[in-house]
Amino acid sequence: MMDPRRRDLLFRLGAGFGSAALSTMLPEHLLAATTANNPLAPKRPHFPVKAKSVIYLFMHGGVSHVDTWDPKPELNKRSGQTLPESFAKGLKTSRIDFSKALIRGTPWKITPYGQSGIPVNGELLPHTAQLVDKLAVVRSCYGDAFDHAPAINLRATGSQFPGRPSLGSWTVYGLGSENQNLPAFVVMSDGAMKSGNLPYNAGYLPTVYQGTVFRKGASPVLHLDSPAGVTTETQRGTLDFIGEMDRQHLAMREGDSTLEARIAAYELAFRMQANAPEAVDLSKESEATKKLYGIDEPFTDDFGRKCLLARRLVERGVRFIQLFSGTNLGDDWDDAHNDLVGALGKMCKRTDKPIAGLLRDLESRGLLDETLVVWGSEFGRTPLAEGKNGRDHHPYAFSNWFAGGGVKGGRVIGSSDDFGLRAQDDKVDCHDVNGTILGLLGMDHLKLTYFYQGRDQRLTDVHGEHEFAARLLS
Amino acid sequence: MEVLRNNCLACHGAGMQMSGLRLDSREALLKGGTKGPAIVAGASAHSRLLKFVTHAAQPAMPPGKKLSDADVATLRSWIDAGAEWPSAGSAPEVKPPNWWSFQPLAPGPAGAGIDSFIAAKLTEKGLKPAPRADRMALVRRAYLDLHGLPPTYEQAQQFINDKSADAWPKLIDQLLASPRYGEKWGRHWLDLVRYGDTAGFEQDPYLLDAWRYRDYVIDSFNADKPYDRFIKEQLAGDELWPDDPKARMGTGYFTVGTNRDMLYKVEDINRIESLTDFVDTTSSVFLGLTVGCARCHDHKFDPIPQRDYYRLQAIFTPAVKNRIFLDYNGARGYDIGLNYREFKLRDIGNEIDSIQKPYREAIRKRKLAALPKDLREAFEAEESKRTQEQSILVDSNPAALRISQDEIYKDLSADDRARLELLGRRLVGLYANHTSGPIAPGIMDPDRVSPDTYMPLRGQSGLGVKVPAGLLTALGGTDIPEPPPEATTTYRRKALAEWIADPKHPLTARVMANRIWQFHFGRGLVATPSDYGTRGQAPSHPELLDMLAGRLVAGQWSIKAMHRLIMTSETYQRSANPTAEAREQDPQNIWLSSFSRRRLTAEEVRDGVLQAAGTLNLKMGGRPVVPPQTKEELYGMSQSPDNFWPVSWNKEDHTRRSVYTLVRRSYRPPMMEAFDGLDGTLHCARRDESTVAPQSLTLMNSDFAYGQARALAARLVKLGTPATIVATAFREALSRDPSAPEQQLASTFVEKQRERTGSLEAAVVELARGLFNLNEFLYVD
Repeated sequence: MMDPRRRDLLFRLGAGFGSAALSTMLPEHLLAATTANNPLAPKRPHFPVKAKSVIYLFMHGGVSHVDTWDPKPELNKRSGQTLPESFAKGLKTSRIDFSKALIRGTPWKITPYGQSGIPVNGELLPHTAQLVDKLAVVRSCYGDAFDHAPAINLRATGSQFPGRPSLGSWTVYGLGSENQNLPAFVVMSDGAMKSGNLPYNAGYLPTVYQGTVFRKGASPVLHLDSPAGVTTETQRGTLDFIGEMDRQHLAMREGDSTLEARIAAYELAFRMQANAPEAVDLSKESEATKKLYGIDEPFTDDFGRKCLLARRLVERGVRFIQLFSGTNLGDDWDDAHNDLVGALGKMCKRTDKPIAGLLRDLESRGLLDETLVVWGSEFGRTPLAEGKNGRDHHPYAFSNWFAGGGVKGGRVIGSSDDFGLRAQDDKVDCHDVNGTILGLLGMDHLKLTYFYQGRDQRLTDVHGEHEFAARLLS
Repeated sequence: MEVLRNNCLACHGAGMQMSGLRLDSREALLKGGTKGPAIVAGASAHSRLLKFVTHAAQPAMPPGKKLSDADVATLRSWIDAGAEWPSAGSAPEVKPPNWWSFQPLAPGPAGAGIDSFIAAKLTEKGLKPAPRADRMALVRRAYLDLHGLPPTYEQAQQFINDKSADAWPKLIDQLLASPRYGEKWGRHWLDLVRYGDTAGFEQDPYLLDAWRYRDYVIDSFNADKPYDRFIKEQLAGDELWPDDPKARMGTGYFTVGTNRDMLYKVEDINRIESLTDFVDTTSSVFLGLTVGCARCHDHKFDPIPQRDYYRLQAIFTPAVKNRIFLDYNGARGYDIGLNYREFKLRDIGNEIDSIQKPYREAIRKRKLAALPKDLREAFEAEESKRTQEQSILVDSNPAALRISQDEIYKDLSADDRARLELLGRRLVGLYANHTSGPIAPGIMDPDRVSPDTYMPLRGQSGLGVKVPAGLLTALGGTDIPEPPPEATTTYRRKALAEWIADPKHPLTARVMANRIWQFHFGRGLVATPSDYGTRGQAPSHPELLDMLAGRLVAGQWSIKAMHRLIMTSETYQRSANPTAEAREQDPQNIWLSSFSRRRLTAEEVRDGVLQAAGTLNLKMGGRPVVPPQTKEELYGMSQSPDNFWPVSWNKEDHTRRSVYTLVRRSYRPPMMEAFDGLDGTLHCARRDESTVAPQSLTLMNSDFAYGQARALAARLVKLGTPATIVATAFREALSRDPSAPEQQLASTFVEKQRERTGSLEAAVVELARGLFNLNEFLYVD
C-alpha cells in the first residue's frame, strides 16, 4: 500500500516534462502512482472524436474581415459616403467615430475558389485560397472589446479581465498530454505580445497548465542551457552532488514525496536539456517540406519555421500549440490603422504560404484528420476608413476558420450585415467558439469544470449556448 | 410550520427573498419564486419544495445540509393534506441563517490553550503527536515564518546555545521587533489585496505611487497596528481620520488593483469593473465571502441576494481617486515645481527639435539615396499613391529611415552642438532633484450626495431598480443612513468599516485568525481561507478557531500577540516528521500531529539566495526597484523593455528584498513565475506550492542564480583551504556546520569540479550553485 501522503504530493510533480523519464529512477509502485496522479496524464474525452491536438493560428492585432473572408460589395458601392445613421448607432471603437468616418471599399478582388466557390482574397491569400474546400469559414464572430489586450483575453479566456484560464490551459486540464517529455501547451510568438501572457495563462487552474513559450533557436525553453562556460560534465557533477545531499536529507524525512518529486524534477530538467532541442531541430526535414512552408524565403521563413515546428510537435503528441503572428512593436496586423494595403499585404504574405503548407503537410502525413487547425484574430477591422488609408479595430463582426480534426470544409457558416458591421445570422461569441473547440476535442464545455471561488467554473462561464461543433462535423 | 421557520425563512422570508421566493404564507408558497410555484397543494410529489429538500433536484436545499427524514415527512404530509396555514395573523419569527460561520463566536472553556484543542482531536483520531523539533529546525522555522529569511549562522547559533528557559519566547519577541517582520507579513497582506505597481492590460501603465501603500502595509505590520484599526484605515481612513494623512493612506487599498482607466474610451466599463473589484475583493479579504455570484442573480448557495450585492456596490459608488498629501506644503511645492518645469520643458523640446530638424532631413535624404531602387521608390511615392507592393515594402522595413540621436550628433556643427549641450545642462538642472512627491494614492467621496446605484433586472433592459447602500442582510446588516446635512462625504465606507471591524462581527476575527494560523501552518483551520460560505470547508477545529478569534478581539486586535500565542504552542514546535501512522491516516496533516513542511515562496527563495551570497541589501521602502533580467527572460512582454523593465541605475538596488521589486501585472520575472509568485491580478489567499521542472532550470541556470553563486564563491575562495571553504559555504547557505560525512562529500565534489574546470573558484561556484538547489535550502522543516 502506497503512502497516501506520498501519492497526494506526487500529484504535484508535472510541468509537462513528467513521468516517462522517471522510470529509471523511481521504483515501480511509485511510477504507477506518478502516472495515475500526474495532472498531465492523458485523459479520456467526454465523447469520441477525431481531433487529438489543436494548432491555433492567432493573427494578433486584428485582421480586416471585409478584405479577406467576408466580401461586402455594398462597401465598394458606397465608398466615400458615411453610414446610414441607424447603422452607426451604438458602435464604438478606439479611434474613429462611426457616424462620421467614411465607408471604404476593398482595394482587392475577392473571388470564388475551389469546388465550393467560397470567395477569398486570392490576391493576398493565393495559397490558402487553393485549400478553401478544406475550410469551414465562420463569418459571424463578434465580441464587445475593442482594445487589443482585453479582446485577446476575451477570445482566449472568455473574459476581458485577466485571471481566468486560457483555452489551451483548459484543454490540457481536460485531456492531459500524450507526451510527458515536452510541454503539453506550447506557445510561439513573434516576441512582444499585446496582451502579455494572458492568452496562455493558467489563471486559477494549477500552474502546470500554463502555456510554455518556445523561443527561436536550438534552446526553446527558458533557462534550458547550462550557464555559459559550464560543461555538461560539470553540470552533471553538480546535479549528482545535489542528488546525493538530497537523498541524505530525505533519509531523515521518511516518506515525504514532495522532496522525492523535487529530486526527480532535477533529473527531468537535465534530461530536457539533452532532449528538447531534438524536437525543434528542423535540419532533418527534407528540402521539399521546407519549401512547402516557405522556409528560407524572405517573407515566410519565420512563420514557416513556426508552422513546421507546430507539425513536429503534433507528431510528438503535444496537445495544444498556439502560434501568434505579429508583435506589438511596430510590425503587425495592427499597422492597418495607418496603412491597410501595406500592413494586410505584408502580414498575409508572411503567413499565407506557411499556413497552406501546414495544412498540406498535415494532410499528406495523415495528421490533418486528428489535428484541429483554427485561424482567428481578436477582432476584425472597421469597414469604415481610419484616416486616409487605414481601418480601425472592429469587434462587432469578424471571421474565423476551422480545418482538420474532422471538420467538414468548403462551407461558410453565419453572416454579417451588408456593411460587415455586425454579425447577423448564426452569431457566435467567444464562448460559442471556445465551446466549439472543446467540443471538437471531445469535451463537453458544460462538464469541463474547476471549483474556484465557491463554484464550478467553466471556460464558457454561463454561456456557450450557440456552440456549433456538431455542425462543423456534419 | 416549525420546519420552514427553522430552516428556510432566513433566506425566504420577510427579510430576504432569495430567487424571489417567500415561504412564510400559504399564498407565497403557492405563488413561488423565479423557478415557479413552491408547492402544489395536495400533491407533494409535484411540489418543487419537496424535490429541493429531498435533494431530488437542484438546487439542493437548505444549502450545506439536509433536513431530517422526520422534517421531510412533516412537510410531505402537510402539503398532501392541502397545505393549510395554521392560524392567520401569526407571522413566523425569523431567525438568522444557521450557517456556522454566521453564528456569534463561542467563547469556549476558560483557559483552554491551543494544544488542548489539538490534543483532543488527536486522541479522538488515535494519532500520536510528533516530538518537539530540534533547535536548528525551530530557529530556521521561526526566522522564515516571521522574516521570510533564514537565520544567519550566527543567529542560529545564538538560539541553539541559549540554554535559558525562555529562549524560545525571547527569540519570537526579538524577531517580531525586527523590521524584517513587516516585510514578510506585509507581503502576505499584499497577496490578499491583489497589490501591483502597474495597472495591467496592453499598455500596463505604472501606478506611480502605489508603493506608498505597500510601505504603509509593511509599516502597519511592524507597528502591530490593531487589526480593527487597519481595516478601518483601508476602507474608510478618509472618512474616519480626515486630518491624518497616515491613516488615509490605507485607502490606497482601492487604488493598487487592476484597472484600465488610462486606455481608450473604456472609462464607463472600467468604472463598473472597479466597483465590482471593490465589492468582490473587500468581501473576500475581510469577510471571507465570495459574493461575486450575486452580481448576476441571487447567490445559489449562500444567503446573499442580488440586491445585497448592489447595496454593497452602492457603498463604493461615490468614491473617487484622491491624492493624499502626506505633507501639505511639501506636496503643494512639488506640484508647483512640476508646473514651472513643464512650462520650460515645452519650450526646450521645441528648441531641440528646431536645432535637429535640418540634420534629420539631411540624414533622411542620404539614407534614402542609399536604399535599393525599389525600396527608395516605395518610400518616395506619396502614401495614397503607392502600389500594393510598395506599401508592403514600406511596412516591412520600418527601420530603414529611422534616425538615432547618435547619428544626428555625428553631423552637428560646433555651434549647434554647443547649443544642444547647453540645453542638456539646463535639462539636467531641471531634473536634478526629480523624484516622487510627498503624495500617496487613495480615495475619497467628493460630496455627501452619491450617484444612484441600480440593480439590473434579468431579461430587462434599462437601468433596473434603484437600491440604497447597505450591509449584508444575512448578517444583520441594514441600510446605511443618509449623512448629516453638514457632511462632506457619504460616510458609507465608514459604516461598512465599523460594521466589519465590530468585535461582534462573526466573520472578521475568525477570518483573520485563520489567515494568521494558515501562514504559520500552511493550512488554515478553515482550509478555504476566503470562503466561509456553504461551499467552503467547515473548520477542522471549530472551538480552537473561535478561541483564536476571541483572543484576537480580546487582545486589542494585536496580530503580534497572535504570533506569540501560536508559536509558543507545542503544536507549532513539533517536528516536521510525522509518525508512520499519521502519514497513513492523515496524509494532509489536518489534525496537526506534526508541523507541515513547506517550500519557500518565490520571494523567500530569491531573498535567501541573496542573503547566502552576501549581497542582500536590507534598505527598506521607497519606489519599486527593477533588477536586471536577461533579454531572453524579458521575451514576450507587450512593450519595449525600455519602458516596461527599466533596470534601476543603482546596482545596490538590484539585490533589495523581493517585496520591493517592481510588480508588473503583465509580466512576472521567470523566477517569480516558476516558484508560484504572484502578478497581483487576483486576490490570493494561499499560494500554490508546485514542484515543476522549470524551477530546477531557473535555479540551476539563470543569470541570477549563477551570478549569486559566483558572488558567494568569490568571497569563499579568499578563505584559503578547501576545508574552510566547504565549512563556510554550509554556514552561509544552510546556517549550520557540515557533518563529517558532508564535509567529506563536499570536499570531494569541489576537488572533482576543480579537475573538470581547472580552477578552484569555478569549482566553488559549483558548490554554491549546488547548495542553493538543495531541498534543505528550499524547504522549511
